[in-house]
Amino acid sequence: MNSWSQACDWPGRTEFGGWPHTYYLFNAPAISGEEILNKRLSKKWLPLAATIALGVGLVACGDDNGSSSEDTTAAAEATADTTAPADTTAPTDTAAATESSEAAAPAGDWSANFKPWEEGAAPVACGPKDGGALKAAWVYVGPINDGGWTQTHDEARQKVQEHFGDKIETTYKENVPEGEQVSQVIEDLIADGNTVIFGTSFGFQDAFLAAAEKHPDVCFEFATGYKSAGNLSQFYGAAEDTDYLTGMAAGAASKNGKLGYLASFGIPEVVRGINAWTLGVRAMNPDATVKVVWVNSWFDPPNERKQAEALIAAGVDVLGMKGIDSPATGDAAKAKGIPWAGYNRDNSANYGDVWLTGTQYHWDVYEIPRLQQVLDGAWVAGNYYGNIGDGFVGLSTYGDLVSAETRATIDAKKAELAANPGGEFTGPIKDTAGKEQLAAGKQHTYEELMGMQYLVEGVDGEIPAG
Amino acid sequence: MKSPIRLERRLKQPRWLNWAIPFISLLGALIVGAVVLLATGKNPLDVYWRILDRGFLSKRSITGTLRTATPLAFTGMCAAAAFRLGVINIGGEGQLYVGAVGAALVGLWLGGSVPVGITIIVMVVAGMLFGAMYASIVGVLRSQFNTNEIITSLMMNYIAGIILNYLIFNSRSYWRDPRSVGFPSGKPLDERAHWPSYELFGFGVSFGFLIAVVAAIVLWIIYKRSRLGFEIGIIADSPRAARYVGIRTKWTIVAVTAMSGALAGIGGASQVGDFAHYLDAKGLQLNNFGYTGIVVAALARLNPLGAILVAVLLGGLTNAGYSLQGPDFPSGLVGTLQGLILFTAVAGEILTKYRLRANRAASKAVTA
Amino acid sequence: MTNSAVRMTGVVKRFPGVVANDGVNFEVLKGEVHALLGENGAGKSTLSNILTGLYRPDEGTIELNGAPMSFASPKAALDAGIGMVHQHFRLVEPFTVAENVILGNQETPFLIDAESIIDRVNELAARYDMAVDPNAKIWQLSVGEQQRVEILKVLYRGAQVLILDEPTAVLTPIEADALFRTLRAMTAEGRTVIFISHKLDEVMSVSDRITVLRGGRTVGTVATMDTSTRELASMMVGRSVEFSRVVRRNPGVPADVVLSLSQVNCDDDRGRHALHDVSLTVGRGEIVGVAGVAGNGQRELAEVIAGMRSSTSGRIAVAGNEVPNGKARAAIAGGVAHVPEDRLHTGLAAGHSVEDNMALKNYRTPLLSKFGLLRRNVIATQASDLVTKYDVKTPDTATPVRLLSGGNVQKVLLAREFSTRPKVLMAASPTRGLDVGAIETVRGRLVEAADDGVGILLISEDLEEIMSLADRIVVIYEGRLVADMPAADATREQLGLLMGGAKMEASR
Repeated sequence: MNSWSQACDWPGRTEFGGWPHTYYLFNAPAISGEEILNKRLSKKWLPLAATIALGVGLVACGDDNGSSSEDTTAAAEATADTTAPADTTAPTDTAAATESSEAAAPAGDWSANFKPWEEGAAPVACGPKDGGALKAAWVYVGPINDGGWTQTHDEARQKVQEHFGDKIETTYKENVPEGEQVSQVIEDLIADGNTVIFGTSFGFQDAFLAAAEKHPDVCFEFATGYKSAGNLSQFYGAAEDTDYLTGMAAGAASKNGKLGYLASFGIPEVVRGINAWTLGVRAMNPDATVKVVWVNSWFDPPNERKQAEALIAAGVDVLGMKGIDSPATGDAAKAKGIPWAGYNRDNSANYGDVWLTGTQYHWDVYEIPRLQQVLDGAWVAGNYYGNIGDGFVGLSTYGDLVSAETRATIDAKKAELAANPGGEFTGPIKDTAGKEQLAAGKQHTYEELMGMQYLVEGVDGEIPAG
Repeated sequence: MKSPIRLERRLKQPRWLNWAIPFISLLGALIVGAVVLLATGKNPLDVYWRILDRGFLSKRSITGTLRTATPLAFTGMCAAAAFRLGVINIGGEGQLYVGAVGAALVGLWLGGSVPVGITIIVMVVAGMLFGAMYASIVGVLRSQFNTNEIITSLMMNYIAGIILNYLIFNSRSYWRDPRSVGFPSGKPLDERAHWPSYELFGFGVSFGFLIAVVAAIVLWIIYKRSRLGFEIGIIADSPRAARYVGIRTKWTIVAVTAMSGALAGIGGASQVGDFAHYLDAKGLQLNNFGYTGIVVAALARLNPLGAILVAVLLGGLTNAGYSLQGPDFPSGLVGTLQGLILFTAVAGEILTKYRLRANRAASKAVTA
Repeated sequence: MTNSAVRMTGVVKRFPGVVANDGVNFEVLKGEVHALLGENGAGKSTLSNILTGLYRPDEGTIELNGAPMSFASPKAALDAGIGMVHQHFRLVEPFTVAENVILGNQETPFLIDAESIIDRVNELAARYDMAVDPNAKIWQLSVGEQQRVEILKVLYRGAQVLILDEPTAVLTPIEADALFRTLRAMTAEGRTVIFISHKLDEVMSVSDRITVLRGGRTVGTVATMDTSTRELASMMVGRSVEFSRVVRRNPGVPADVVLSLSQVNCDDDRGRHALHDVSLTVGRGEIVGVAGVAGNGQRELAEVIAGMRSSTSGRIAVAGNEVPNGKARAAIAGGVAHVPEDRLHTGLAAGHSVEDNMALKNYRTPLLSKFGLLRRNVIATQASDLVTKYDVKTPDTATPVRLLSGGNVQKVLLAREFSTRPKVLMAASPTRGLDVGAIETVRGRLVEAADDGVGILLISEDLEEIMSLADRIVVIYEGRLVADMPAADATREQLGLLMGGAKMEASR
């Protein structure tokens, strides 16, 4: 019952968490504007209180929209700063890159990283039938101003809208809880005439699969999943490459060689991130160790902050994170004045004094051409795994803490990884028990990356049982 | 200084008020909502029509509304059942999780190997038993050690959440799908353990919702007609009188908390059997069914049949709310509308018990 | 200026279905103790609630010191100098006397000067002869002392007119005497006391003038010295009432024992030893009175017989059959009826209807329920039969008993208890708080039951009642039965001494 109390933020940045929960103040930094409405606390209680708060905060909702567009601009600039260099060489394993256009960025072609589920499948006709605008919808698990995951998705949606103008009409549904509500929302969107639907939370996957089977004439695009259907695509990207680069910045920033890392779940995607980050850290700071804590949630700002503070208390002098949607870790770092490598969103503006850099997704790199295919009647379902080369993943703006020398080192490595995605995992690599996981000179296959279940040497922690 | 109006308790509640007040307050909510909508540049009639259409009118919407309402009906009855006794069980949330765990266990175990009907009945019973046993911990603590059930049931919610996380994310448990790639998820049930849904009057009704209706009727009979209901009423009214006539108060507290938990447990079982078809550790926790159930119970004035109606109302409002949302309709505005409707419903409730009176001549100063 | 402190003229207050005050005229002079006398339901409480600002009259005027007044709230009345001492105290138990005195007082500054408050409380207490330690916690005080704190509270806030609602109901005779001295001291200083009561004797002894209410109307105001108990009683009930020793149709048969206790011991709620080796018998049709000052084990005695409390040792038998220890249902089934002291919340479920309350003891019988389901129509019939038979004044059987007057509450309780056809009936202070008419009815019912062969254990602090009803009297003191004598042999003085702890020999 997300929306019952999940409303919009209101000024004054008090968190509403009514009885029976203790209420707390979420210490958002000055400019970040979109404070995270703590989903869990506020959601649980209660519509009545929410009414009062919302009544007061109505005006604030308008403000929020305003400020999020500001952030969009900021993010757009960030993109310009950090996209791959223009002279990127073609990805090694594909000839497609040679066909890439002369556009400055991205240099790689997204389609090289897209594989249809079935070669030669007939396109799904989900374009507008009556010559009207194509209606496309995004379903989000969080609020569009979460300062992280959902916000970057919505920023991509806005870019899509800008790109196509009146050829496409986009909409979104936020705060949709995983569970059976998702299918209701999808049904409602289809009833409204939407023929392309994007899902952005792993927990939506089954509902999307079921809806895809039920509505063969609607195109479904799903981020971060793995299940397939003739009209259900999967898209994601090689964040481990940029995680490695972020780790380099972190390793260079650490003085005592002890770093802390917040991770959401012990799943391959996150494990890859931890490992890549740690390898990056040790590339700059060979004896450094990375202490990992598991938050067991994608979005739980109070807990994230608590864990971050615990890490700082344990003596780490740089913080990083993966699979975490809010900047609460940054708040902890900022409070103690220690460097922080973020994830998923450019927070250089709001956390300037502690910001290093972070992995960032440019969903529009994939979404815009895919929607163009829909308009062209050429859309087929398949799997996409973007990378630095095609601009799907990138680094956020460097913070002032990253020296020019470090930047140069990272940029050089970035060019290398753009040409060779996954190149940071080149043997020999040992796990925490000292066992060799990758022989010298070898590189992990895509399948090995997707199923990664070990932690590299230098990580202080273990994957939760299972 | 002095407010011009004040509330005075009604000595008698006229019967017609019970029916009239909800309508009047709804009307009030719509009028206030219209002002808010106009202020934000929306056409109230369009918006209200959309709420009606997407929440309550079309066949597809009713199907969806009943789906959304099902867990709320169960948790609403769960809260109502315990509140009637004066036991503030706010543990419907956790009891629902545990019921889901139980139903998933037997569903995975029996699904496909025994007849469908048996599998489904055993799943329902398992949900009830798991929910009941989990809740009875709260009941026993309250009756034997006089612990505050608000605190214990709340803490048990967190524990149940941790159990769910453990089963799916942190262990290779029986419930976890060993084949899940990347993100861990629950093991899917055999199709022969999926609960049926029926076409009634042209819209789909899940098996879980039908159980909810039956449970509400049974619960209503218990309260209105049964000895147990009579005893529950006496205990809630006067514990001393209960002791005086020899009612087994401690036993009743445990029994009622267990019954309350059993209801939430079926709600959890229905989430597994009707909708998710696996133990959805995250989905269960993100929806806050248990906490919303407290609102349902309060709005239904602890009446189990009322809980069904309120759950359907909330279900419809929820779905209509998602339907309204979009780039030009912030979710905050949706929440405001939904909240207004609920808020006035409660305000109206106050008016059935109290009446407004103008504060005429204020007291004069004593100078004479 | 007149000498009038309070004058109420033509006061009307209506509640749905009831006119509680129907044109009441009432004048109190400065410096007098003015008793407001009337049966339960005569309108005394409504009138005092109007005077203290809790209700507002629908018609009529109130004058205070000759000036018209209208109170919007109890606070406004207090500001005007009218203070009320309620029958049920409103004190915070873990707080001290001084803290309670200043509690709710708007003039209390943010920072509390404890010393000056204690001085002021001491001064007030000394002036009016109300010994109480300002530093004592409320829970440590006796009921009489707690009442003094209530009085101090209103005095501290400068009340000139004090309304006391049945102040002696909770007091021992000695404490009551002390209270009367206090009231005298206050009136001597020019304060005015309105004394609500239905006890004729104490009204005669304490008041200067008396106003009698009946059925929401003023019957009349008389000067105490010009009237008599008999006249007041007839004003109250509208007819002459005689109090005298009852005449029994069928005398009891002590040898045919219906209730026997042998060597019963039990603990109270705090785990202290409350009953010491109590042995007692009640014969068929016999009325045994248990005399004693409240708090000497009467409650535990009643509860242990009723099965509400477990004994630690000893045996209890009803009509020769031993009753399982601490099983209320077994005691009820064995034929024990119980009219507890706390009628509304122990003997009855106050929020439940007359109908439900009538079924409280027998709802589990096959007559009223089958297969765990209640037979509502039978329950309704039973209730309306009993309402008719026992002449309960209630709009209908669906009315919650909390809305009934005290006398009717007791009638519901008695009707139910007698309808179970008991062998033994325990009645604890069965007429406390009732008006004259209701007392008469209740006593009549008890005697009638005894005449029909029910053994009755009458636990009461009201010696008058015990002496006029009982065949035999036992005295309880500190959890022990210290005397057992035929009622005919007992004298007030002797019982009073025994209740106060004097030895049997000494009293002879």
